[in-house]
Amino acid sequence: MLIERAAYGNRWRSVSPAAKGLFALAGLLAALFSGSPATAATIAGLLMLASVLGAAVPLALYLRVATPALGFLALSSLSLLFSLSADATGNLSWQMAPNAAANIAAVSARSLAALAALLGLVLTTPLPDLIALLRRLRVPDVLLDLMVLCYRMLFVFSTAIEETRTAQAARLGYSTPRRSLNSLGLLAAGLSVQVWQRARALHLAAEARCGSGTLRFLTPQFQHAGRDTALAGLAGCLLLVIGACAR
Amino acid sequence: MSPLIAPLIELHAVDYRYPDGSAGLDGCSLRIAPGSRNALLGANGSGKTTLLLHLNGLLQACAGRIDFAGQPLAAGRDGLNALRRRVGLVFQNPDRQLFSASVVEDVSFGPLNLGLDEATVRQRVAKALTAVGLADLADKPVHHLSFGQKKCVCIAGVLAMQPEVLLLDEPMAGLDAGMQNELLAVLDALSARGITILLSTHDVDFAYRWAEQIHLLAAGRCIASFAADQLPQQASALHAAGQPLPAVVNLHLSLCRLGRLAASPVPRSLGELASLLKQEENTCKFA
Repeated sequence: MLIERAAYGNRWRSVSPAAKGLFALAGLLAALFSGSPATAATIAGLLMLASVLGAAVPLALYLRVATPALGFLALSSLSLLFSLSADATGNLSWQMAPNAAANIAAVSARSLAALAALLGLVLTTPLPDLIALLRRLRVPDVLLDLMVLCYRMLFVFSTAIEETRTAQAARLGYSTPRRSLNSLGLLAAGLSVQVWQRARALHLAAEARCGSGTLRFLTPQFQHAGRDTALAGLAGCLLLVIGACAR
Repeated sequence: MSPLIAPLIELHAVDYRYPDGSAGLDGCSLRIAPGSRNALLGANGSGKTTLLLHLNGLLQACAGRIDFAGQPLAAGRDGLNALRRRVGLVFQNPDRQLFSASVVEDVSFGPLNLGLDEATVRQRVAKALTAVGLADLADKPVHHLSFGQKKCVCIAGVLAMQPEVLLLDEPMAGLDAGMQNELLAVLDALSARGITILLSTHDVDFAYRWAEQIHLLAAGRCIASFAADQLPQQASALHAAGQPLPAVVNLHLSLCRLGRLAASPVPRSLGELASLLKQEENTCKFA
């Protein structure tokens, strides 16, 4: 929901998704080709500044969205810190990995830059616009249909879960750990039936409007799409130059 | 309905049984005149939704026949698509109808399925959203809308297909008074454009106030069809369908007994009743 809030409430909401996609792609490539951790960190910083200062995504929200990914990154770095080795007698032992600090710095800085590039895209572009962009990029219809339905159902089912949970709580369904477990099971079972019913209802609704299988929608139009894409291309080139120059 | 006007939709003793064996429709016959405003009035489980699903071709009758514009409903994909192009259905729960995340996208789904070009679809979507008063919310995500607004998006999604007949399943359910009035204004405007409207409801007061023709459903059968202004004389049929007389009719009868109002004209709403009382008061003053 945080991503959703930022995507609909940022300054770049009306900027063409193609432009934002191009900029994010350039950011990913710059992260990939950056020669040193310092360069990758610089690119990460620039991408983050673009989101926070350029698109006016609140810094606190940005950091909260990034936290889970940063947690995974920290865990991965921890695993890079140690290495497993076997001595002559075949005994396994843990030891600090050689060049651990350098490896961790390189991987972490690159990952941060890649994360910042993707966050810049998803925090400034609502998912329907992204799906429309993917449609233009000729992504298979079946994948897009799944994305459309999953995205819509996310909100329908979160409401259904909230309503059921409230109704259970109002009748003391969560008063003890044992009852909580029981209520949670009932909620999951009830939701499974609802999923089936909703799927049937949506199928009927599509049929009622002459649906023939594929979900076809109008793609949104963006003013100044050409100008935005050119600017994003320029900014993307700048990132790539920064990444390449410091090799 | 005058027998001289050829019905647009006609059901001849239609039967339908659900897969579990329960009866959805049981010898249901009724006629819908072109351009008319019709209310299907019945208790929960009387077969209103089942009937609407038949008229849009989503369910097929087990027995009997349904004619549309004098022709039996066609079977097969092409026949059904031709029917759905002319008969649009708005479901009761908008969350069960809307599957796209943005308003414009969802409204565009039907017209795109008709094979129209993009420019025409954009034009139709804009027109449909204006008709339901949601032009300003075109780019909003569906999950940010209120229940009433979602319902209007559902109607716009069907209007964009420019149907001749609009079927609405319990359109007033879950709407507050303000939204009900807005929806009524939309329905009035559509009716003025000549669109035939058939809606299901269990609210006898609303049906009496709004409809031209009322069809009473009970246990899957249409037990009576009559012009709405004939409703005060249909107390026994209403009773059989589990419906009371409208409050305004009861109030009018009481006022007639007290000698405060004449037996005719019979008001269709509390607003009309208040106007009659005011007129009567003014007449008394001048007398």
